[in-house]
Amino acid sequence: MMHPAYERLLIGGGTLVVFLLAWEICADSGAIDPLFISSPSRVARAGAVLAADPDFWNDVRVSASEFIIGYGAAAAVGIPLGLTMGWSRRISYVLGPFVDTLNAVPRVTLLPLLIIWFGIGIWSKVAVVFLGAVIPIVISALSGVKTNEARFLTMARSFSASRPKIFVSIILPGTVPFLFTGLKYASGRALLGVVVGELYAATSGVGHMIADAGNMFQTDTLFFGVFVFTATGLSVVALLGMVERRFERWRPKVGAAT
Amino acid sequence: MKSAIRMPALKQRYGAHERAILGFIVVTLFLLLWEGLERGWWADLLRPLLGAQAARFALKPIFISSPPRIAETAYRMFLITGEIWKDIGWSGLEFVLGLAIAFAIGIPLGLAAGWYRRFSYAVEPFLAALNATPQVALLPLLILWLGTGLASRVLIIVLLAVLPIAISALGAVRTADTRLIRVARSFSAGDWRLFRTIILPSAVPFLLAGTRLAVGRGMIGIVVGEIYGSAAGIGMMINQAGSRFETDKVFVGVLTIAVAGVALVELVRVIERRVEVWRPPVAT
Repeated sequence: MMHPAYERLLIGGGTLVVFLLAWEICADSGAIDPLFISSPSRVARAGAVLAADPDFWNDVRVSASEFIIGYGAAAAVGIPLGLTMGWSRRISYVLGPFVDTLNAVPRVTLLPLLIIWFGIGIWSKVAVVFLGAVIPIVISALSGVKTNEARFLTMARSFSASRPKIFVSIILPGTVPFLFTGLKYASGRALLGVVVGELYAATSGVGHMIADAGNMFQTDTLFFGVFVFTATGLSVVALLGMVERRFERWRPKVGAAT
Repeated sequence: MKSAIRMPALKQRYGAHERAILGFIVVTLFLLLWEGLERGWWADLLRPLLGAQAARFALKPIFISSPPRIAETAYRMFLITGEIWKDIGWSGLEFVLGLAIAFAIGIPLGLAAGWYRRFSYAVEPFLAALNATPQVALLPLLILWLGTGLASRVLIIVLLAVLPIAISALGAVRTADTRLIRVARSFSAGDWRLFRTIILPSAVPFLLAGTRLAVGRGMIGIVVGEIYGSAAGIGMMINQAGSRFETDKVFVGVLTIAVAGVALVELVRVIERRVEVWRPPVAT
């Protein structure tokens, strides 16, 4: 009997290799026109060509700025906003209607408006990335505060801890897992915003490159662009997971000491 | 004295409805602020203070529209000309087809991946990759394959909606009550019987939760899929109105999608509650 971990790696990796080989053979043998499906080797070659192309790096820079500014602003606004809404009932009543409304609207539908307001440059994309990412962050921060351990609160109160003290030493640490769940989900939303924004109307960016490549039947470039987004999505989530583990190191393992 | 007695009662009543009262006030203020920007109330108000600079607080209707304008446009589009119904019909068709195909693929895929460990190892890399990719990035490819017709628009909805469905089906099987399975096994129930009487019923709540996510993503798919032109559809209507600076129409479209999304998610929730009725409360 094989160890399940190896089996997983073997089957998963094996299927992936078979898939890539089948793709390559389909294209090379001419069973399906490579113009439509490209092939792994062609995509790799397109990647090599693009890596030497300053225009591509400009596209990457533009998309990265949109993502980083929009997502960063969403975290900077969303986390404090969500924490305050969770902490103060009144503030949550005041801001609740707006958060709920925005949550109900698929934010990409606002693109035409954002373009009227901010033009087709990077700021309309920054805005759609921000709007896409900020709502999940606010909601997760809020629910993190709401679901804190009642036992700890009672205990702290009975030792007459002040409200700021309770917030810093109980509420805030308790929200960390929620915050990271929200941040991870929001990173997907942010990436979606970059792509849709650039497909919709842009003059540069990786999404724009994909759209252009589609129009000119450059399937290789198109696939490489999609691959860039996939790699970005995976690395952002992995990075957040690493930061989360760093933050969670102090937490005792559940059931370790009872 | 009289007021001293009445005050607490009033305060109590305020306390009971604080959420509704505060919410109402804030939303009204927001709508007034918006209306004022369009009508130039704030510009007039601030002119003595800021002089010519105050003109910046009056915005043209093509930029922000205004609540009454939007209401009027909505009334016209829904009831007078009825032009929006055709768009709703097209987008609705895309949505229903897309979700139906997503279910037809996602449920068997997820159930199989949850049931057969080896199969799950095989499909996991693909699911993870598709999950990390913003699926809309594949839209230009779909258009290259299928053209800008209905097929590519349905397929983008499928791509967006299939993952939450498959993942929830997978999770449902994985978390099925092992005690029940062991009991069934010891009475020598076959795979199929086990699947039909234990796995499938316990999967329903998970699937409904996945469906809620899929509905939201399908709404995104409607809008994104219609970026590249289409005969009709809400997304197309929004895009076209945007490029003609018909801001009020854009708002009507956005609100229509929001309302449809909320209504569908609510519908799923109602079904969820209905399904939960037969389930005995967990007590161990």
